[in-house]
Amino acid sequence: MNINQRLDSINSGNKVTIRKLHASGKLMHKLLDMGFIIGSNIEIVREAPLFDPMELKIQNYNISLRKSEANLIEVIKYEES
Amino acid sequence: MKNLKVALAGQPNCGKSTIFNLVSGIDQHIANYPGVTVDKKTGKFTYENHKIEMVDLPGTYSFSSYSLEERVAKKFIIDDNPDVIVNILDASNIKRNLYLTFQLLEIGMPVVVVLNMMDVAQRRGIDIDSAKISEMLGCPVIEASGTKNIGGEEIMKAIVDITQDEEHYEDFKLNYEELEPHIKTIETKIDSSTSKLNKRWMAIKALEGDTTIIEYLEKDFFDIKTSLKKEEDKFHSLFDKDTVSFLATLRYDSSDIIYHKAIVDKKKGIETLTDKIDKIILNRWLSLPILFAIMFMIYELSIVGGYKLTDYTWPILAAVKNFVIDISPAPYLTNIPIMTDFAIWMINSANALVNYVPIFFILFILIAIMEDVGYMPRMAFILDRIFKKFGLHGQSTLPLVLGGAMVGGCAVPGVMATKGIADDRARMATILTVPYMNCLAKVPFYTLLLAAFFHESMSLMMFFISTITIFTALIVAKLITSTFLKTRETAPFVMELPPYHLPTIKGVILSASQRVWIYIYKVLTIVMAVAIVLFAMLQFPGISNESQIKYDRQLEKGLNTFDKKAQNNKYYKEVDTKDEIASLLNYYDGYKAKRMATTSKEGSLAVDNKYKTLNASYFKFIKPKKDKEAKKINRILRKLAKVRNRILRNVKNEKVENSLLGMAGKSVEPYTEYAGFDWKINVAFLSSFAARESAVATLGSLYENGKVDSQRAEEAMAENSGYTSLHAVAIIIFMLLTPPCIATMIVVKMQTNSYKWMMFAIFFPVFLGVTVSSSVFTLGTIYQWDGVEAMTYFYICITALALVLGMWPSKTINWKGGLKKNQKIYNNYQQNLMKGGN
Repeated sequence: MNINQRLDSINSGNKVTIRKLHASGKLMHKLLDMGFIIGSNIEIVREAPLFDPMELKIQNYNISLRKSEANLIEVIKYEES
Repeated sequence: MKNLKVALAGQPNCGKSTIFNLVSGIDQHIANYPGVTVDKKTGKFTYENHKIEMVDLPGTYSFSSYSLEERVAKKFIIDDNPDVIVNILDASNIKRNLYLTFQLLEIGMPVVVVLNMMDVAQRRGIDIDSAKISEMLGCPVIEASGTKNIGGEEIMKAIVDITQDEEHYEDFKLNYEELEPHIKTIETKIDSSTSKLNKRWMAIKALEGDTTIIEYLEKDFFDIKTSLKKEEDKFHSLFDKDTVSFLATLRYDSSDIIYHKAIVDKKKGIETLTDKIDKIILNRWLSLPILFAIMFMIYELSIVGGYKLTDYTWPILAAVKNFVIDISPAPYLTNIPIMTDFAIWMINSANALVNYVPIFFILFILIAIMEDVGYMPRMAFILDRIFKKFGLHGQSTLPLVLGGAMVGGCAVPGVMATKGIADDRARMATILTVPYMNCLAKVPFYTLLLAAFFHESMSLMMFFISTITIFTALIVAKLITSTFLKTRETAPFVMELPPYHLPTIKGVILSASQRVWIYIYKVLTIVMAVAIVLFAMLQFPGISNESQIKYDRQLEKGLNTFDKKAQNNKYYKEVDTKDEIASLLNYYDGYKAKRMATTSKEGSLAVDNKYKTLNASYFKFIKPKKDKEAKKINRILRKLAKVRNRILRNVKNEKVENSLLGMAGKSVEPYTEYAGFDWKINVAFLSSFAARESAVATLGSLYENGKVDSQRAEEAMAENSGYTSLHAVAIIIFMLLTPPCIATMIVVKMQTNSYKWMMFAIFFPVFLGVTVSSSVFTLGTIYQWDGVEAMTYFYICITALALVLGMWPSKTINWKGGLKKNQKIYNNYQQNLMKGGN
């Protein structure tokens, strides 16, 4: 199934590809600077012990994002070939 | 000798400071970048006839103008025109690091690329072809490892070489494809600019919406914004892309190309050591216990251990004090020269602060280790959810713990530890709430009050006192972030979790000593200045003539009694004049003070010997042993000393009462009355501003009745003050909310870079303290609560309020687009952004 989902709804351990960023302004810049480029792959590493924020692996490094911000990132799940 | 100015740039966590320490050694100078609280480290060194000044730019992921650090770094490049930019990359994380490199290369200044942490990369099985990278980027690429002391020479050589080879230096150009014609248009437009900066770079940055560059260009080209808008719109309509994400995408694509051509990651996909450690450190069930254990360990090692260490350092400080007293003019009976009084006051104020240096040193070492290891962002990751509800940030944890989450901390290192918090509003809120935590120096004060008024329920009260502070801090944080700090710049929580690294001893010691030095140098000097003012406020106008006569008479009476009783003594000859008695009294006081300062047997023996050689005939009166006649003198001498001390104390109290500070205390009595404070409490609070320690001393001496010397301060207070336990609760509540000491004020000023916020940090707690303690006291009086009841109700109210506020959604002015709904806030926010966040 190829439905676009929001990043915050993806469970740990999954791998996704960025489809679209719904952020704007400063957050948009920050996300782009940190490598949230359309087409990049993200692996969801884990959630924080209190369920928010979440830890992701992108561009070969680890980053954390609050779910409120992750909600602005549209992704699609992908299977590794 | 040729002078070279070098800017050191790199992304956070690339090991920039280890390279900085490697090349510049310990000859470092720390200041702030003008107008902001970002550290500016400068190192100087010479290499082959070149004097090199290296400036450490703040670590930034990008080189636009969206964070304070980026603006500061950009401003430095524009204003200071460095000769060379040294770009440090984390070799184990090249892809993202190159993103910044492209932006630095575009500036058009010579760039030296340094691949740091080559050892880590090798260990992780990452093969890097640095010659290939050098060829692709068209600039020298040096392999290095700051922690292993590799590459320092080569970096210096490359810096010097590249400046001598300027003609051969080729401008680096990234081909921005579809955007190129638009860049060209802007470039042509600004072609007439006289600026030394690269035009293509300015054009690209302007198209990226970089405010610093646009402002810079607006000076010469007033309509630049319209042209930019036109180009951006054109680009958007042609390709359905906006410039910002287009540029970012292209840069990441370019670094991807380099990554694929020059790097082979042999162990890709295999779990790294960091991944393994994080499985435990960030585990859902283990992370919180581990975090508390680490916090507890820091607390134990620094506050508890450091406090024990002060047992060893305190005698040194006491010796310094005794030395100062020795060289000051000696008192004559009850007449103490003002110089001596002043010297003692100053040395006491200094000692109170210097005493904390061992604690701070341990603390700063531990903080430096945690920073270097990479635990800080993990701590923020674990606790962010709680803190964000109160407008704070996950990174507020450490400052609050240091401020005294358990019984006793210190706001000075707490406030200093706020530096790394990325979100400006949360950082400000943390700075302003850390002082609400329980500082170490408040503890004796609580102990005094609890011992005086809450004998039976001491532990319950202590529990209330030590756990309520975090709730009050959270409430205050919520309060000020949704009011006074509402328009402050906030930053999205997009935080890297860097790989763990072993810290270097050199780096840790350097960082800790630099921070301790800031404390000694900046804080101490200002505290001394304030201490002088306070001294004057406590001394003048002094006591009235009538009182002086009264006390002179009392002294005369005491002397007469002494004389009468000594007359038949065989040593009468030695003590029959006023001068002799005066010097004997000084001798006795000096001996007592020195004996108090030593704890060991050998120490007291040494004091004995010293005083014996100083004056053998006086010594027999002080330690009479079996000499009966000397014993008699000893007895009446002690009585006389008591009389003298009582007079001195009364003189002091009267002086305080008449003094400017006393008047101030009295003048606010009508207001503090509602909280049950009389002027004595007010004076104690006012004087505690200099250093908290003095509050206990002031209160103790104000409440002594002078009749019984053996009475302890808490007994004196319970008996002589006429207070009930409800009064005590009001005092405790005020103390919980009381303004920070001067030392804290100074670091608040340093960290907020504003006197306005410093004043706020003083007066807001006073306002809160008076309001809250008045309400509790007034309600308590109406409903006839006793102290414990009042405190319990207060505690319940505060915790409930904190919980309710935690449920309240935090409104962030942010970056999501909700901005335009409230235009006023948005405008303020924009202004703050322009002003550089200050």
